Amino acid sequence: MIDVNAFLFSVLVFSLIMNLGISLYGIFWRPSLVKKIIALTILGDTANVLAIVVGYRAWIAPNRPPIPPVLTTWKPTATDLSKFSSLAVDPLPQALVLTAVVIGLAVTVFLVFLTIQVYRLHGTTDVRKIAKLKG
Amino acid sequence: MISPETLVFGVLAALGLISMVATFMAVMERDLLKAVLFSAVQSTAYAFMFYILMAPDILLVYVPVAVGLYPAVILFLIKKTERFEGGEEE
Amino acid sequence: MRRAYKYAVLVAMIVSTLALALAVSAGGLGYALPFPAVRNLAYWYLRTTYNPFMPKFTASAPEAVTAIVWDYRGLDTLFETSVFFLAIIASMALMRGIEVKAPKSINLSKYGMSAIVKTVTKITVAIILAASASIALHGQLTPGGGFQGGATAAVAPLVIIVIFSLYFAVSSGIKKKSMLTLRTLGLLGIGVTSFAVIVAGLILGKAAYVFQNQPKEAAPIGFPSHILGVPMGGTLLFFNIFEFLAVAAGFTIVFLLLSVPEESVRKVLEGGEGHD
Repeated sequence: MIDVNAFLFSVLVFSLIMNLGISLYGIFWRPSLVKKIIALTILGDTANVLAIVVGYRAWIAPNRPPIPPVLTTWKPTATDLSKFSSLAVDPLPQALVLTAVVIGLAVTVFLVFLTIQVYRLHGTTDVRKIAKLKG
Repeated sequence: MISPETLVFGVLAALGLISMVATFMAVMERDLLKAVLFSAVQSTAYAFMFYILMAPDILLVYVPVAVGLYPAVILFLIKKTERFEGGEEE
Repeated sequence: MRRAYKYAVLVAMIVSTLALALAVSAGGLGYALPFPAVRNLAYWYLRTTYNPFMPKFTASAPEAVTAIVWDYRGLDTLFETSVFFLAIIASMALMRGIEVKAPKSINLSKYGMSAIVKTVTKITVAIILAASASIALHGQLTPGGGFQGGATAAVAPLVIIVIFSLYFAVSSGIKKKSMLTLRTLGLLGIGVTSFAVIVAGLILGKAAYVFQNQPKEAAPIGFPSHILGVPMGGTLLFFNIFEFLAVAAGFTIVFLLLSVPEESVRKVLEGGEGHD
């Protein structure tokens, strides 16, 4: 007997893994440096979503979803705290992804400046033509 | 009768397939402007995924970065270099 | 022919995704996704992020993600911030010698889009800045924080550059130098906040750690956890404010450099070669 929910969640996971493969193809085989940058951003984003998926947890009942890792009361009782920790998703991957997204943009911007500089010097962003240049 | 859990996971699976198609089109497209648009579609699907996967913090940082700033930076890059992959349109 | 081949590959990938998912959900790996529980480490974070019953262990912020980013794994984030700093510095080094300035005697109203768009943009920019400040300052209570607020605020200068033109942005005070000052201020603030408790400990003659937030068993001093009854998360509030400044100003510098017209850059580059 196949669990429909597990099937649908596995579709998500495997489509993300396929995205990793497609973006790696883009980085390695497409000739344009701009296309390589676009594929690199997709690779980074996909890795981030996979990290969040690892931190997700199953529903405890068909109508009780997990909650975000944010406590909504300032004066919690012991019951509130145990309910919170039994329902909330893992906050650690979220904290790591949070910084990774911003740093990823900064590094991408640096790559963009490098590509502009290559175009200024050689007049092309095609790696096949750049490889043939001498000097 | 579909249970809420199946509905939510079905939306997640649909978003996964949408992002896969958008990634494929973005990587295969020769017109780089269209590639950026497909990449933005993929980013939007990922943003909805973050929302459904209970990560509001990541959603808040991902929407401005990946839907706003990434396409803008790449569009600046395309404006300063060339629009078509592998030389001008044949 | 090529086109049909492309779509065949896409359909094959979708079918193989569905087949792999079917195999896993039928028990191909011995377990099903998603996992029923989070790991023990996550339980510890969730139990202690805001826990008045364990005052020696709590980070005193109801928002677990911000607590991990700036308290539990604060040193990690400090090094991430230095990677961010270096990436921006490297971009600026590639564009060295290129000044971002408006030509003298310029009619600013001739540049940019129509007056309607400009009026709407003025309102939008104010809303963006207010929303980003709210995201950054409530980081210890609600989803948000310095990184999120900074990334949101960086949209505002980009919109100004695109709608009004680069020259308007420069003449209205969004300059490379002032943004660099703001960014340095943010980074200095992060440094000062991370060493504040250890300096206070040295003065008072008590033990303290770098990146300490709340009082611990062996280090009895720390930042105040509540102000007027509202959880402030001690150092988290200050880290969020300074990171907000650093991220927003850093991205603004990059957009200013990116939007310099290519002709003026080439003039500088060619002129530089001529002098050598």
